[in-house]
Amino acid sequence: MSVTSFLNLTVNGITVGMIYALIALGYTMVYGILEFINFAHGEVFTIGGYFGAIFLTWIIIQPGMPFVLKITLIILAFLFSIIATSLLGETVYLIAYKPLVGKSSRIGPLLSAIGVSIVLQNLILLIFGTTPITMPVEAIPRGFFIIGDAYIRHIGLIIIGITCISMFILSLYVKKSRMGQAMRATSQDIEAAEMMGINTNRIISITFIIGSALAAVAGILVCMYYGTLKFNIGFLYGLKAFTACVVGGIGSIPGAFIGSLFIGLIENYSIGLKFNLLGIFVALVFLLGTYYQFYLLPKKAKAGIKFIAPLFSKREEEKGSLVTTEKKTKKDLMSMEEKEMAKKAYYFGPLLIFFNFKKKNPSSFVAFHVRQSIKISFFNLFVFITMILMLFIFPNFQISSQWKDVVTYLMLILILIVKPSGLLGENIPEKV
Amino acid sequence: MKILRVENLTKRFGGLYAVNNLSFSLKKGEILSIIGPNGSGKTTLFNLITGIYPPTEGKIFLKDDDITGLRPDKIAHKGIKRTFQTLRVFPNMTILENVLVGMHPIIEENIFNSIFHPPIMKRQQKEATEKAISILSFFGTRLTGTRLHHPANSLSYANRRRLEICRALASDPKVLLLDEPAAGMNPKESLEIMDQIKQIRDKGYSIILIEHDMKVVKGASNRVIALDYGEKIAEGTPKEVSEHPRVIEAYLGKKVAKNA
Ligand SMILES: Nc1ncnc2c1ncn2[C@@H]1O[C@H](COP(=O)(O)OP(=O)(O)O)[C@@H](O)[C@H]1O
Ligand SMILES: [Mg+2]
Repeated sequence: MSVTSFLNLTVNGITVGMIYALIALGYTMVYGILEFINFAHGEVFTIGGYFGAIFLTWIIIQPGMPFVLKITLIILAFLFSIIATSLLGETVYLIAYKPLVGKSSRIGPLLSAIGVSIVLQNLILLIFGTTPITMPVEAIPRGFFIIGDAYIRHIGLIIIGITCISMFILSLYVKKSRMGQAMRATSQDIEAAEMMGINTNRIISITFIIGSALAAVAGILVCMYYGTLKFNIGFLYGLKAFTACVVGGIGSIPGAFIGSLFIGLIENYSIGLKFNLLGIFVALVFLLGTYYQFYLLPKKAKAGIKFIAPLFSKREEEKGSLVTTEKKTKKDLMSMEEKEMAKKAYYFGPLLIFFNFKKKNPSSFVAFHVRQSIKISFFNLFVFITMILMLFIFPNFQISSQWKDVVTYLMLILILIVKPSGLLGENIPEKV
Repeated sequence: MKILRVENLTKRFGGLYAVNNLSFSLKKGEILSIIGPNGSGKTTLFNLITGIYPPTEGKIFLKDDDITGLRPDKIAHKGIKRTFQTLRVFPNMTILENVLVGMHPIIEENIFNSIFHPPIMKRQQKEATEKAISILSFFGTRLTGTRLHHPANSLSYANRRRLEICRALASDPKVLLLDEPAAGMNPKESLEIMDQIKQIRDKGYSIILIEHDMKVVKGASNRVIALDYGEKIAEGTPKEVSEHPRVIEAYLGKKVAKNA
């Protein structure tokens, strides 16, 4: 395994991650406002790709065409697909979701979305059959760089560039513009937003339009990257993009971006690298874990902070042991002795079971930290064993590519166990 | 001059009459207080006026404009704004942004403008920010200074109530509906907010105030309406209403029932 093919894997991972990110934004923005998962979004992505490819096939990009004309046609194809797909996304919302959202049960719109997903897939099948649609060769940027023995295609870099620019513009739009402000207000409290004079119906429509437009861009880019697109590809991409949202923290735009990048990289590294190199990543996780166990968490315990960010599990919050910023005075209620005990808990970890802590009848504060300590110790132990296995016992083992998705999902589940709200999950606003 | 008129308003939830055949009007520049035991339909009345749900029967007029059954955002644009009993600031937006969102009814926005930011938009934005700050400074330095850019969920309970008032005032509403603005405040803060509500009225706003604290009601309001089981049981000056036998009965009755 050379450094250059590592570079290759990285670029491929980022590229695929960017595609997921473009799709993921549609999921996360809709979820942010309506708190429902638009399962048909994957199909909207496929159809976006189909629209682009059909447009470029129709107008027949020819080999002899001047570069500028070719670029113009490709841009036109993007515009055509963006407009057509946005209309589709908006229509789906108006017909299938709007009559159901907010009425009666939560499961209604969800079922409707699954239904729409099936209908759309069958529609593609009916019109185009099972043969994948192909992108005209002339429309695909075919250049590449060679760095060492790494082979980097221009189209990959183009995908990364387009996604980063779209992300940047979208973040700016949501953060700065009045419409973006209205969007955020709507996603935080739709009823209050309405009473502030925001036409929330329009905001929801715009959200669907933006999400669909980005999915259309992703569809065309994937079709350019792989050359073809199959009628059912949207399901897998949609699922992964959605997972990326959850991993990054659903409802958060930067979260969707980070989560997607994560999935793209994990997918590529896990099957492309031998265990001795993968072990290095595991080692980094282990270092982070020990930093938490032996430095950060003891420090927090000593400061008397009972509630430690949603690091481990939501259940602690539900039990009501959440100490909000406004109740900081509680800090002083913990005695020095208790704080010392909580701090030590982290150093001894699971061994505490043998020391019979229960007998001493610890306060809820100490008990909380003992629980945390046991959890993180087991986590670290698990990571440590994995690291040893990878680095020293099976250094030359490589996961075969058919296990790609399984490995990816195992990793993701692990992340969610450690941090249930996702990597950049929003702090749950305290309800008064 | 009557600015808001409610005629024979009724709201039924299943078999429960939350508001029952209620008629009253609000004069320009006055504070009208609505009192009544818990569950007597005060908040429901606000929800009807602001269009969260349509009334079962009856009509609501803003001046001579029939606003019954309009969408909430339309009603806000017509000039009715409110605060909530269960604090509903936008928790992850800054204090300044919360007030800017409140300005929606008075600032033109369209997709083109918000994408391309022409200079006129920039000026508008700047003016809006200045106005927001001047509204926030009504409460001294509690919501201004560095706090402007803190998220609203970092505020204390009382400050969130103040922020909600600022947010509602941001679009210069014709009618301001305040749902228990002093709830959760200590006696000193209650008196302060009472004074401030009177100051807001003196600026020319017309206010309907829901309040539990009789001290605040007596100190602030021009007229009082008492509700029980959604029905109006008394109307008049604060003194008249507080001495009205049915009001005493309604309040005492509840207390006796609770103690029993
Ligand atoms: N959306 C609703 N659905 C069913 N019942 C409701 C609803 N909103 C309020 N109610 C009922 O209407 C009555 C009046 O409630 P409310 O207006 O909140 O009282 P108040 O604000 O005076 O304390 C209560 O009995 C309450 O349970
Ligand atoms: Mg109420």
